[in-house]
Formats: sequence, C-alpha cells, structure tokens
Amino acid sequence: MAGTITQRRWDLLLVVTAAPHSNDVITSALRLAQSVLDQGRTVRLWACGYANMLTQTTHGDTKLINTRDPEGVYPSSSRVVRDMLAANPGTFAWIACTACSAERGATSHINEVRFRSPMRFVSTIEGADKTVFIGGA
Amino acid sequence: MSEYRVLGVIDRAYRGAVEVQFFDALYGILDFRAQLGAVALALRGAAVTLAVDEDIYQPVVEFGPVRMDTLPDYRTSVRQLITEGVPVMVDEPDLRALGFGPDDVVPGVEVLDTNELAARWPEYDGVWFV
Repeated sequence: MAGTITQRRWDLLLVVTAAPHSNDVITSALRLAQSVLDQGRTVRLWACGYANMLTQTTHGDTKLINTRDPEGVYPSSSRVVRDMLAANPGTFAWIACTACSAERGATSHINEVRFRSPMRFVSTIEGADKTVFIGGA
Repeated sequence: MSEYRVLGVIDRAYRGAVEVQFFDALYGILDFRAQLGAVALALRGAAVTLAVDEDIYQPVVEFGPVRMDTLPDYRTSVRQLITEGVPVMVDEPDLRALGFGPDDVVPGVEVLDTNELAARWPEYDGVWFV
C-alpha cells in the first residue's frame, strides 16, 4: 500500500536512565553496546533523564583542563559518543528523549543524536528484538 | 593559603569512568589541597578499595576503534596523595568486610578502627563528606 512506513528493526535497545557521574553504569552501558556491535548486531540507545547530559554540545570535544596535567587531552563524553556513532554507521544510534532534555535544560545535543518524544517510547521498544532498561535516575 | 584544616570522608566510590576520567573525588582532594592549611582523607565503605594496592589495572577502555586511556586511576591518585604528604586513612572493619587487610593497602595508608577514625574529627576545622 502506498504510504506504508516499515519501521526498521534493531537487535537491541538500551534504555539508559542512569545519571553520569553517579557510578560506573554509563561506562557499563557503552561497553555492553560495543560488545553487541562487535557481534555484528545493531544497537540503539535511548538516553533518558540525566543521561542526556552526556551528549551536550557545551562539553566541546575535550573535558576541562586537568590542573595537574594541563597538557593532557581528555575527550568529552560528547566526543566519545560521536566517535562511537561514526565508527558504527547504520548499526549504532543514539536517541535523546525530548522531555527529559527539556526538563533539564539540556537540549543542545550534538548533531548525531536524534530527538524523540517520549510519546514514541513504547513504539521504540517494539522496534527492537530486545530491550535492556538500565535505570537509576 | 588558608589555615583551614579539612578531613575529607569518602564513602561512595566509582562515580563514573568514561565521563569522569581525572575529575574524580580524589582529584578534588588533590586539587583543593593548595587552598587549605591541611587536608587528610578517610576512606570508608566500598571506597576503601580505592586504597587497595595492585599493579595490573590499566585506565583503558576500547569501544571498537575508539580507545580511551584516561579512565580514573584511584590507586595512582592514592599514591600521589601519600607522596605529597596527605594522610590517607582506611576504615579497618570495612576493609576486612571486603576481604582485605592492612597488608593489602598502598604503602603509607593508615588502617584504623572506625572509632579511631571518628576520634580524629576534632583535629580538623571541617569534616567534609565528599
């Protein structure tokens, strides 16, 4: 039928509501994503809550200066996510929840991140064969 | 420089890795040190493991071709604190509960009973729960 949209399916959806700088959960989520990508599968990550802070353009490419190592280069979380997306074209995607981003005044995501309304949360889950919900906001 | 003397108490360890890198709780102790008359560190709870010595950890994680070698390195930070003369103390029962003893910590770290640790609070102008 003309006009029918076939929703793309993903192997894994990671819903990450845990906050950066709280514990090692963000690192674990990225490692989990990478390990599934390494198996040749596709991964989509839905950032909820404070996880939306990870991909703000205001981070720039590098973290603030380390006063104890002023010449050191420390990639920002935005840079790490952007590099991971660039390394996995078409197989890794990052979604920013519009409501959580707006609630936190964190709407300035890097261009590689896709905005999605929470009204599409369940349909996003239905578009993946498996969903792992990593909570802890 | 202020004469203000601070005891920093850390109960909760491992507050992020990829997003944190050098900017961890021990960096706060190292970085504030220049503003203070004296600073000391007390590790309790799971944070006692920050002072458990080892030599195999590498601050590296690889996400496919994206390699980071700047993850937090707590043992190195504890060694730096000791080198710079900052007293580092560890709660003995918490250390023991996790299967470690006084011989397992970074050289120079003091292992003290909970009550001894608390008895030292009056030596400081401020006790900060970092």
